[in-house]
Amino acid sequence: MSSALETHALTRRFGRVLAVDGVSMTVPKQAVYGFLGRNGAGKTTTLKMLLGLLRPSEGRALVDGIDVATNRIAAARKVGALLEAHGFYANLSGRENMDLTRRLLGLPKTEIDRVLAVVEMTGDASRRVGGYSLGMRQRLGLARAMLGAPPVLILDEPTNGLDPDGIADMRRFLRDLPGKTGATVLLSSHLLGEIEQTASHVGVVHAGRLVLEGELTTLRAGVAAQIAVRATDAKAALSLVRAKGLKAETRDGEVVATLKPGQAAEPACADLNRALVQAGIDVVAIGPRARSLEGLYRQVTAVEAWKEAA
Amino acid sequence: MLTPLYVEIAKLKRSLALALAGLAPGLIAVFAFFSALRMDEARPWEMWMMQGAGIWAFFMLPMSVTALTALVAHMEHGPKSWDHLRALPVPRWRLYAAKAVCVLGLVAIMSVLVPTLTWAALETAAAIKPVVRPTGVIDWTGVAVVLGRMYLAALLLTAIQLWVALRFASFVPALSVGIGGTFFAVVATSAKQGVFLPWQMPVNMLATETWRWQTALALGCGVGLLVLILMLISLSRREVR
Repeated sequence: MSSALETHALTRRFGRVLAVDGVSMTVPKQAVYGFLGRNGAGKTTTLKMLLGLLRPSEGRALVDGIDVATNRIAAARKVGALLEAHGFYANLSGRENMDLTRRLLGLPKTEIDRVLAVVEMTGDASRRVGGYSLGMRQRLGLARAMLGAPPVLILDEPTNGLDPDGIADMRRFLRDLPGKTGATVLLSSHLLGEIEQTASHVGVVHAGRLVLEGELTTLRAGVAAQIAVRATDAKAALSLVRAKGLKAETRDGEVVATLKPGQAAEPACADLNRALVQAGIDVVAIGPRARSLEGLYRQVTAVEAWKEAA
Repeated sequence: MLTPLYVEIAKLKRSLALALAGLAPGLIAVFAFFSALRMDEARPWEMWMMQGAGIWAFFMLPMSVTALTALVAHMEHGPKSWDHLRALPVPRWRLYAAKAVCVLGLVAIMSVLVPTLTWAALETAAAIKPVVRPTGVIDWTGVAVVLGRMYLAALLLTAIQLWVALRFASFVPALSVGIGGTFFAVVATSAKQGVFLPWQMPVNMLATETWRWQTALALGCGVGLLVLILMLISLSRREVR
């Protein structure tokens, strides 16, 4: 068994609404799997089925090979979760809140100190949760998910409410987690940048369907190369790029040209620069754009939107 | 089973539910205290104790159970902690059973506090105004039997209120059922059929007709236990969205 989480044709309907539509995903062990999609795409519903909180209408969800529907408790022993709603008791301190879960999991008291230290919350743990900021609750939620060092962490929007430093810390922490502890992380987010900087694998869900899945480096290699041009006359530059048979559009004052499949970026860049200068268009900056997850995401969601329209 | 129960008890720390458990019997004692101070002559202990038990059974018990169950349930509904709890590797019925035992324990504590605080209030009143010192001796066994029966007869109304409070995230259904039930219990006091109304079952423990208190006790306790079991099955199986 090499996958930590698997779903097979996982489907969930709420009345007539099809929230999750035949999702078959595989999260390899020790991966940081970015589960990406717009709000309402079906991410949280899928996570809830993996946690046994919702029953699938069809299909199966497996945690470390254990079917969640038939053996929820054994599957739950393998998972720590941080959900959108933290579920902390405002009348209790951070440590007291942690202690409730620790007792239910049957863990020693020292486990609380360990996880609080990991999220740097030891100093604030004796304060009541009612006075915590959203970011502090988020960190405490992550600490609670890590109680007992479960082999799988399911985190729903873990950077919500964190300040920029907190976000950077969280990203670094999640990226390093598989290497340090051997854990697998399933990270749900609607923020492309967050997934791009944290995940080793990605799954894109759109309108309840998994439209893309794979290792991020492999997926990025499949994205068509792009060139960004900043010229004094963007309109003229756009016309010239299009005249050369390339797809192009203006984004934030830049002309972004998408190359043909297999076309190398650097020679095309030099060629385009020459053409622009010869046409009397002053070029301020020109260069290949990094192959980003955003480009990939836009490609697949555009294709899906086109399929839906058709 | 003991761990979920310990967790439920720990959640009560600094909670409104715990404050209510002290406040509701305290109000009956405060009422007895000022009533005694307004009098010019002593009354027997038995009369004071039965008056306290009557107020408790007639009005304060159903209203307190309504508020208590709503507050205990809201401890989970408010911060939306059901998802966290239900995702843990713990049989879900144990989580709900622990909550039910915790509520029943609080109602039992309140039942004990009613005569205890009433006694303390009247002793205080007698110290301030010796002429009102209650006469005779307190029949603690008799008081315990009556309040114990009231507690058992209230199992059904407690089970119904707890089920509604845990089932719906909003306060409104639980409060509507509780206020409505108490209202009909009050207006149907003299009606024979009142014995079948869960919110009137505790007050029937003060009835002189044997059939009346026995019927209310058997229904309140027996059906109450059945409803509690059904509640555990239903809540453990349902999804919380």
